[in-house]
Amino acid sequence: MAFYADKDYTVDETVLQAAQKVMEGHLGLHWYEAKTERIAGRPSDPKRGLTYQDLNVGTYGYTDIPEDVRTSQSMVSRGSEKVGKLPDMGYVVNRKSDVWSDNVAELYEEVKARRWVPATDIPWTELHTKPLPHDLEMACAQLYTFLQECQIVSMDFPSKWVALINQDFLELKSWMCAQMLDASRLFEVFRKRALFGGAGLGRASATAEQGLKEWLWADQFPQGSVSINLTLAGFLLTLYRQVGAFAPTNVDRKIMRYAMQDGARQTAYGLGQLRYHLKHRPLEANAIEGYLEHTEHALLGLIGSPELLEPMIIICGGGLEKAQVDKGRIATAKFIRLAVREYMERIAAAGLAGHANRSKIPAMIDRISAAA
Amino acid sequence: MAISFPSTEYFEALKAQMAANEEKFRRLGFIDTTFGVSVGVNGKARNFVLEFEVFDLKNVSEVPAIDLKKVDFQIEGDSRVWREMIENIRRNGEADSSHDINTLAHFGERLKIVYDDPDGHDKLYRFMESIQEFFDLSSKLEVSFN
Amino acid sequence: MAYLSTTDFTQDKDFIDKWLYTIRTGEMDLSWMKSATEKISPAEANPRRGLTYRDLNVGTYGYTDIPEKVRNNRSYAPRGAEIPDGVPDAQPWVSRKSELWAFNTESYYEEAVSRQWNATTDIPWDRLDGVELPEVTGKALSQLMTFLTEVEMIATDTPAMWLPRLNPDFIEVRAFIAAQAMDEARHAEVFRKRALTTGWGLMQASPINEMALKHLRDADSFSEMSVALHLVAEGNVLTLFRFSEYLSPTDVDKKIFRLVMQDEARHVGYGMQHFKYVLEHFPEKREVLHAHLDEAENISFAGAAATELTEAFIILAGGGLKKENIDQGIKITTQFNLKQMQEHFERLDKCGMPERRDRSKLFMMYEMGRAAAEAAGIKLN
Repeated sequence: MAFYADKDYTVDETVLQAAQKVMEGHLGLHWYEAKTERIAGRPSDPKRGLTYQDLNVGTYGYTDIPEDVRTSQSMVSRGSEKVGKLPDMGYVVNRKSDVWSDNVAELYEEVKARRWVPATDIPWTELHTKPLPHDLEMACAQLYTFLQECQIVSMDFPSKWVALINQDFLELKSWMCAQMLDASRLFEVFRKRALFGGAGLGRASATAEQGLKEWLWADQFPQGSVSINLTLAGFLLTLYRQVGAFAPTNVDRKIMRYAMQDGARQTAYGLGQLRYHLKHRPLEANAIEGYLEHTEHALLGLIGSPELLEPMIIICGGGLEKAQVDKGRIATAKFIRLAVREYMERIAAAGLAGHANRSKIPAMIDRISAAA
Repeated sequence: MAISFPSTEYFEALKAQMAANEEKFRRLGFIDTTFGVSVGVNGKARNFVLEFEVFDLKNVSEVPAIDLKKVDFQIEGDSRVWREMIENIRRNGEADSSHDINTLAHFGERLKIVYDDPDGHDKLYRFMESIQEFFDLSSKLEVSFN
Repeated sequence: MAYLSTTDFTQDKDFIDKWLYTIRTGEMDLSWMKSATEKISPAEANPRRGLTYRDLNVGTYGYTDIPEKVRNNRSYAPRGAEIPDGVPDAQPWVSRKSELWAFNTESYYEEAVSRQWNATTDIPWDRLDGVELPEVTGKALSQLMTFLTEVEMIATDTPAMWLPRLNPDFIEVRAFIAAQAMDEARHAEVFRKRALTTGWGLMQASPINEMALKHLRDADSFSEMSVALHLVAEGNVLTLFRFSEYLSPTDVDKKIFRLVMQDEARHVGYGMQHFKYVLEHFPEKREVLHAHLDEAENISFAGAAATELTEAFIILAGGGLKKENIDQGIKITTQFNLKQMQEHFERLDKCGMPERRDRSKLFMMYEMGRAAAEAAGIKLN
């Protein structure tokens, strides 16, 4: 795998002479008249600052990136002048419609503006001054264990693909970097919450992990993105909202409010990417439908995992007394229905209208949630 | 002097409070969304469109009906629920865990979120902290309810 | 290439029936409540710092007690959780602590998260209004920015490639890499934005430095990648940022370089600590790392031919293209080049590889260069 330079430069006279010439004051200035577009970018809204949208101009902009990027396989910045022999970085994703979303620059700017710090933005000491009853704290710890698993996979997906994507898609790659940090931050806050409450971690979920791995290991970026950025992220968004609504402590409510912001952005990218993909390559609709038909089952492995289901019932009900459990299972049944309904809405909005009629999931979920 | 809810004056007052607390909202980050607020009063609705940009509430308008294609989402509910929320905020300095927007709207049973595009819906959650802090500014107002 | 889970959940009758039963009756298994995991009572060591990973460095949850070889977890289970049967293999390539660990990793991560800045709003772009740099300075600045924006994202792509290959038990290292990815995206962004505000746009790519990027990307192991990237490349770039701040033609540029050097110093810090850790805990790697450094330094030699960068630097340092400007620029650039090499070997010394000087052709060149500079009256402090 290691790359070796085309020669041993320590004994290459031409290199030494070139350097020496310059250091003797004989500047070649071959770059001085670079054949690139002149631009003096400025913020269109000073309050917002200088955004990537402000620089979406001419050869520098992202709007005009062609569908097929054939002329650049190195890390040369989009719009700069290519000279000499440039290496091939081995990108395997070179089609815009495989990764792009119209909202990617906006989301990147938003994620930077809306950053937060788990160490200091959560009022952690409240967990100790107002501790929860034992069963409820155990349920929280289990839920947050499950959420850590989801974030490990959420971090792995963009990191797995980013180096394989053509550097011309700079804004998209930058967004993926932000996703990695978002996932890391969410993992961090979930871990801190689970451990600071005193119950320790719970049990990992075999069914959830099997499904998560199937999604993470998708063959192609668009498929993996649908699963991780739309299905998983959308499901987690609903989950954060649910836990936020039934939060047993102010700490949990605060965590979930931050989490839902991050989760909603990820979902927005997932929806936008699928939309862009299908708009520009409508023939891919069948392939995506086929993929979903094959892999959607993993959503059941997540939602029905006892490591999620049972703590959710306890948290929504407030405890293990019969009346609490009854309240909890009804609320959980509603959550399941809501999560799947919103998932199907997003898939339809992205361009797969009628998917809900073809999918096995809605009927199964109706049956399960009706049991409450 | 008390500001009547619902009214454009109420939202304008929140807008002024938001500007006075700019540092807090700046810290939370960009908020770029336009959403509707629909308040049911005796079988009719009073509808407002709030347009947020960067760190500010840029514009408030009362409209006869909200075109869902022109807003990201709409929060709708009976005036009794809105009143309960605002009174809770005024009592506690901020919405408590039973009265924040997410909790009230989660199953659509008290407040309801309606939208044309799920992408627009998701903007409620992208900017949730700012939106909640915005409504929490009601704690600084004297509000009367018609 | 796709993985298929061991069950199709739509066909798993037992799974669905159990789920139905739970929702219908409220009867729960609750076996997860008896997880054989440790109960701990962590505390915030410093409430002003908040709750940190260091506060959670306790027992089986902590990083101190991660064994040299992680044998018990190859899944997506977070460190310290109970791992049931049936979890998948995440296929980590790196399950050996000394292959990636560094002292203080958790602190670097916490610092990174708290010190994130925003290239859009934290740079006073409006102060560029009305600023008209002379053409020669503007072009040189644009060329420098073009180089920087071109190279920054190798430090995203390369560590990010490794992230999913690292055993999930190495939480803090994975977190650090995620933070670094964001840091580097921000650097690529701020340099690109600055180039596009100069009035000249981007300038020329740097083929020689592209070769260096390819070398960084295609390392055989995490340690080799880290030594070449965090220690060598980012060490060089940190020196470059410091000199660039010194040479900055406007206060906007000074601000940019002050902010990026904070991030870069963290990355170099990790690189140094990791290098030390590898040499102490995995001594068999020493020769492997020497071999990798041989090639990294070969490519540093090649960098001398990246005249588009050297010339831009000379112009910025000297303030123009007249003979006296170029002479002054060469003087400062010589100091910079020597400083880069000096600090490179200082870092290797401090991390436990002092013998590198004896076998490095780059060190020979440094000594010759230093002697020549001193003979020409150029002092290196």
